[in-house]
Amino acid sequence: MILLRLVRLLVVLLVVTFLSYVLLNLLPGDPTTQILGLSASEEARAQLRAELSLDQPLTVRYLGWLGGLVTGDLGTSYITSVPVAEALAERLPVTLELLVAAQLIALGLAVPVGVAAARRAGRTLDQVLTTLSFGLLSTPVFVLGVVLILIFAVKLQVLPATGWTPISLDLGWNLTSVLLPAVTLGCGQMAVYARLLRTDLIATLQEDYITLARARGLSPRRILWRHALRPSAISLVTAVGLNLGALIGGTVIIETLFGLPGVGRLIVDSIFSRDYLTVQGGVVLISVGYVLVNFAVDLVYAAVDPRIRHA
Amino acid sequence: MKRLTFSTAWLASLTLALTPVLAACSGERPTAPSDKAPAATGASPVRGGRLVYGLSADAAGFNPVTDQFATTSYSMAGTIIETLVGVDADGGWQPVLARSLTPNTNADEWTIKVRPGITFSTGEPLDGRTVKANLDAQKASPLTSTALTPVDSFELIDPMTVKVKLKGPWVAYPYHLATQIGMMVPPSALADPKAASRKPVGTGPFLFKEYTPGSRMVVTRNPGYWRKGLPYLDEVEFRILPDSQTRAQTLEAGGIDAMGTSRDDDITKFGALKDAYTIRRTTGMAVPEYMFMLNTAAPPFDDLRLRRALAYATDRKAVISTLRGGLTEEADGPWSKDSKWYAPGGDYPAYDLAKAKALIREVEAEKGEITFEVITPPDPNTMQGIELAQDMWRKAGVEVRIKQVDQADLVNRAVTGDFQATVWTQFSMPDPDGEYVWMHQNYAMPVGSISLNFSRLKDSRLSQALDSGRSNPQDDIRKDAYATVQQRLRELVPYVFVDHLNTGAVIAKTKVRGVGDYLLPDGEAGVPLTGAPIPSHPFSQIWVGNP
Repeated sequence: MILLRLVRLLVVLLVVTFLSYVLLNLLPGDPTTQILGLSASEEARAQLRAELSLDQPLTVRYLGWLGGLVTGDLGTSYITSVPVAEALAERLPVTLELLVAAQLIALGLAVPVGVAAARRAGRTLDQVLTTLSFGLLSTPVFVLGVVLILIFAVKLQVLPATGWTPISLDLGWNLTSVLLPAVTLGCGQMAVYARLLRTDLIATLQEDYITLARARGLSPRRILWRHALRPSAISLVTAVGLNLGALIGGTVIIETLFGLPGVGRLIVDSIFSRDYLTVQGGVVLISVGYVLVNFAVDLVYAAVDPRIRHA
Repeated sequence: MKRLTFSTAWLASLTLALTPVLAACSGERPTAPSDKAPAATGASPVRGGRLVYGLSADAAGFNPVTDQFATTSYSMAGTIIETLVGVDADGGWQPVLARSLTPNTNADEWTIKVRPGITFSTGEPLDGRTVKANLDAQKASPLTSTALTPVDSFELIDPMTVKVKLKGPWVAYPYHLATQIGMMVPPSALADPKAASRKPVGTGPFLFKEYTPGSRMVVTRNPGYWRKGLPYLDEVEFRILPDSQTRAQTLEAGGIDAMGTSRDDDITKFGALKDAYTIRRTTGMAVPEYMFMLNTAAPPFDDLRLRRALAYATDRKAVISTLRGGLTEEADGPWSKDSKWYAPGGDYPAYDLAKAKALIREVEAEKGEITFEVITPPDPNTMQGIELAQDMWRKAGVEVRIKQVDQADLVNRAVTGDFQATVWTQFSMPDPDGEYVWMHQNYAMPVGSISLNFSRLKDSRLSQALDSGRSNPQDDIRKDAYATVQQRLRELVPYVFVDHLNTGAVIAKTKVRGVGDYLLPDGEAGVPLTGAPIPSHPFSQIWVGNP
């Protein structure tokens, strides 16, 4: 089972990296202009192309890059001359922390909101929460981010507007620097999760075993939290895994907006500067992360719903 | 967002945790007097304190030999690495690490005498050998070798003197030594360029402390700095904040003390808060021009009538009032009116819709319907400008397609001539000779080849004038030459000039003093701000006082 998944991971990686390699190289714009500037001579550009193997056919370059990947060498950035693996390792903790914090905030808010809405389905609270959820869903993160900065940094001055403090320097400052970005990123996800949980909970609460539990005199709170929530969480768990892709996309905007030195910003900057190898390294990192997280989600299914384990 | 609920205690603890962020920069009186006090600040500088400065972009690296420098690179690396030459407030060049630069009669040889008694922070001395090694490295670097094409060789004359032999007269050569080409790093940095790229070393007022790519760079006072009494600040932290709006919000929130900007919104907003913020805007030659660059080597703009028609159809006043809040000035050439190089004349086509329509009808009668494509980066501000221009040109009878391309693609198209018209911002060098390669016909190549003269305009009179400005040391002859350059540009319209984009600015809290006010080593006031679109400036004479 695990071996099969690993094989799948390898196939996904091959397809994704090849496609991204081809697409990147189809982008108009010459990396040598980005590296050497506008005033570089044609000779200097040609020499640099040869040094970077940009004069080689695409497939040869891809295979060479793949060979490096097997030995753990992701190449060296065209622009900064820093090894790509090193650049990614420097940025990864920021993005990871942002993703984890955003998911925790999203789930931490979505579960009580979803439960409350399901419990009072169709009533005023449900309608208010539903409206707020749709409002959050339809608000772009860059708008939400600017509004949150305005409120919490500019007006109330209780959180920093931008910037990043690594955990290694100061945990407290680190948490304050990640809070606004994580809330901004997590709010949209929270709305999705809350809507999913509400819908599934309403369906579960109409199941026969819930009616039986009610007939046995169990309290509504106990029924909801002990007997209905777990089987209703399958869609939620699936969404948490699948939404990782959306979250990673969101980090690109959030990291730029809040000045966070994460992987998303590195990839975007590298696309604009035609730093192909850094983008490729980022693509590998994200692909592996995405597949592994969804693999973990599959394992969590069994824990959430024992019927899956026995199936 | 209202869903976010914080307990009072949590908020209180958070506020306490943030106290250091909101704390003001503190300072103390200097223990030693400075050699020269900045002229324009009107108060005694205070030594000490910390400045947090917001930048719009990170640097690609800090090695002036191997890394391409943008204005943000100059802000960061310029605190550590100094140049042989600086530019004064009048636009002239002045020695910095050089004690003097002297041309021969023909200006085809320059003798650089190195200022004595200067050492790098590594302990290595700055001498003629090191200067020659740096200049040789720059000449060999693919980044800068084209700019140094007129240089033949460098020769060590004595331990503190280097002679520069040129292939022809070049009176503006010293200006190039005020850029990354003239930045001096120690021999150890030349020997290990990768280390120098990440941890810059130099003779400058600050020492490298730490750098987190994409996030921040911190520099601390260099206690052994050769200019006694400087710098005033103990430490400078540069924060990389690429989003202009959140950068401004961070300044408002107290997260940074100063920032660079090119947004007229920021100038208007912070300008209204005079008690809290000061604004320093670019002036003179440092101001770039916003324009539409036309490809004169390809249809339809290989026809002068159409180029002039487009200029006639462009209502510069409307662009300035609609998009710039009235902050900028109309441009009719590459140099602004407050520069000593500006010269009128040449009949630039001022807005006249009737003339535009007549010219277009005349061309269409010969060649059929005129349509063209204008390329632009996809940012909203630029798109507003393009759409406004598109509307103006349509009124004149030309159908215009807008194509969005990213910056790298746009630059590539400009270099290879794969465009008809493009949005463009350029011309902010301190001396007109800095624009030589972009306008001279020798640098205009056919479409498909790499051309530094992007508009590909070939005009012998313009090129002769550029040659004259490059080779004649007399100021009046140079002024005449550059008057001809401006006249030809107005007549031939390779660029539809819109405005002098003087919205490049540094906005600082009022406690931050001396932004753009500094003296060069021999006492002349330096040029306040340089570079575009967001300018840079030295940090050695900035200080923080009471708000």
